[in-house]
Amino acid sequence: MASNLLSIGLSGAKAARTALDVTAQNIANAGTDGYVRRSVGLAEVSATGYHSTINDVSLSGVRVERIVRNADAFRQSEVRRTGSDTARADAEVSGLGNAEAALEQSGVYPAITAFESSLQKLQEDPTDTSLRASVIEATRTMAATFQIASRQLDAVGTSLRFQASDGAAQVNRIAGELARTNLRLARAADASSDQTALLDQRDKLLGDLSQYGDIATSLSADGSVTVTLGSAAAGAPTAPLVSGGNTVAMAIATAPDGTISFTLDGAALSLGGGSMAGQALALGKLDQLKDDLDDLAADIVTTVNAAQGNGTARDGSAGADLLAGSSAATISLVTGDPAKIATAPAGAPAGSRDPGNLGALRAALSAASPAGRMDAILFDVSATVSGRTVTRDALTAISDAARTALVAQTGVDLDTEGVNLVRYQQAFQASGRVMQVASTLFDSLLQIR
Amino acid sequence: MSIFATSTSAFFERSTQNLTALRGQAEALQNQISSNSKLTKSSDDPLAASMLRGLARQEALAMVDTAAADRAIVDLNLTDTALSQFATYVTRAQELATQAASSLLPPAQRAAIATELGQIHNGLLSLANTRDGAGHALFGGDNATNAYQINAATGFAEYIGSGTAGQLSLGDGQSVSRTLTGPEFLSFSDPAGNPTDLMSVIKNLSDALSGGAASTASAASAALGSLAGGLDAITTAQTVVGSRLSWVDLSVERQQTMSEARSSEQADVGAPELGSALARLQQLSVVLEASQASFSKLANLSIFDVLR
Repeated sequence: MASNLLSIGLSGAKAARTALDVTAQNIANAGTDGYVRRSVGLAEVSATGYHSTINDVSLSGVRVERIVRNADAFRQSEVRRTGSDTARADAEVSGLGNAEAALEQSGVYPAITAFESSLQKLQEDPTDTSLRASVIEATRTMAATFQIASRQLDAVGTSLRFQASDGAAQVNRIAGELARTNLRLARAADASSDQTALLDQRDKLLGDLSQYGDIATSLSADGSVTVTLGSAAAGAPTAPLVSGGNTVAMAIATAPDGTISFTLDGAALSLGGGSMAGQALALGKLDQLKDDLDDLAADIVTTVNAAQGNGTARDGSAGADLLAGSSAATISLVTGDPAKIATAPAGAPAGSRDPGNLGALRAALSAASPAGRMDAILFDVSATVSGRTVTRDALTAISDAARTALVAQTGVDLDTEGVNLVRYQQAFQASGRVMQVASTLFDSLLQIR
Repeated sequence: MSIFATSTSAFFERSTQNLTALRGQAEALQNQISSNSKLTKSSDDPLAASMLRGLARQEALAMVDTAAADRAIVDLNLTDTALSQFATYVTRAQELATQAASSLLPPAQRAAIATELGQIHNGLLSLANTRDGAGHALFGGDNATNAYQINAATGFAEYIGSGTAGQLSLGDGQSVSRTLTGPEFLSFSDPAGNPTDLMSVIKNLSDALSGGAASTASAASAALGSLAGGLDAITTAQTVVGSRLSWVDLSVERQQTMSEARSSEQADVGAPELGSALARLQQLSVVLEASQASFSKLANLSIFDVLR
């Protein structure tokens, strides 16, 4: 029996050692992203006796049955889903915020006002060279601000498309890694520390993937995962992005108007979450804003030139075009000669102070209301940003709560680990004591004379 | 958020979220106070931003109106001064005509009167070509150069300007004529009801008297009636100018009131209320400080300090 006692003590010491190792591993990884707290599952080792000694007690100590990984699949999928929504809202708000800054800080609105006020000022004395020069300069500034706004919007679009194509590259990379992880999971021994590490890696990859697109997952018994990305066109079956060791490629197509669309294995794909969905939404809005701005610029050119054509310049010549171009990017001043502003009505002599045509130009501008339309464009983008920001903040609060809940459940609590350290240390010492007792018993048997 | 379970990283994550949120709010307030504007970008409050843009635009356009009112005041004052001088000339012409109307006047003196009337005619012509503040003919309507010139064939002054005087906008659809055209106060009807103008009357009188014959006395007394009509026209014009000046004054007053209203609306919509903003900032700083203190206290609690 004494040898049995010795092996029981040994098994206890071994189990305590393993538990101490796991505790140390937990402490070491307290700050590791994606690490899920482990604990040791112990099981008693006992056996019923043999047929002759059926009522004998046969105790053999303890063994480490498994390493428990304290992950909650529901909370993890909540974190992925809410994180995906937040990433979409974040990407959209940041893209639209840049568009707002481009339109607002390029100063188109103040430049239009300055143009109109310079025309109003010119009405006081239509032949005055300095007033005419100020109109020319205000027009030049206005054209320049339109060009700046257009270029800024293009830059915002380029950066959004760049981010989206980087997102597609990341999705394909993560899908590849998930497929490899799936293969290794299928080969890993059940409940080994190797498997738990692979599961950690799998969950971290899924979390990363959900930042780029909305995903649905299904887990198989061996821990490998099948991932579906977004949704296919109505009626078409949705091909899984990752299934076992297989992946399909995801790609982005850019339309001539700068908007993007997604394909999965060649079939159309629509994303409801993740940063790429947000970038696609922002690009759609950006395209509309750019069209609005282009229309406005073209209308200003048409209005000014039409009015010019009905009048006479200061040098007596018939009014010629003052502006050229048909979009915000191409609007430009044709002439820098202050004398060429046709303030007088057709047929007026050179040097006429008659502001008839200037009045007509101002009336036409006031009817076309470029400042009002620019204000509407600015209001459109800022109201969109403002609304999306509210949504984003709400989604962020939700996903933060979900993440904290997950971390609270799966994360390492140093206090608990500290207690475990003491507990298993004591268990180890106690097992050592058991071995000592066994040895003493054995010695006392040997000393019988 | 309700705390249902905890782990070390969850504790740190929650603390970070709370402290970041508090600091973000405090910084937003600080930004509002230091920029004296509730909005750093339009999306902070799209409606208020749109209103502020509209107000800034109205302010910019109103500044042009204010400048236009100043210009109108300058031009109308110039017109008024010129009209006074016209009146002085006409009064002098009336004195001379009265003297010439006496048949007892020696021919030499009558000729001298004719010469002086000729000078007055020249004076009137150059006065009619007075320049306005921008250097254009004050009484020439939209014409940039002279208002009157001597017709080489007849020797009489004729109006070469355009029909109306320029209008200056005073804002909100109001406008004012900045001056008068020459014919508006130099042309009138003589006692017989025939249209004539001041310079022709004086030139005719001067021409008639230049011979010096006593028979011209009747022409002088006839001219007196016309001169009285001319003076009437000028004083009437002065009244018109005076009423326009008071109209411009009223408009300037209105512009100022509107500008003040706009400023106060701008402040209402766009500027933070300093008292409450500062109080709120103070409150946030206290909360932030307390959160930091309690965080560092909790973070310092470690079981490993107790285990020996």
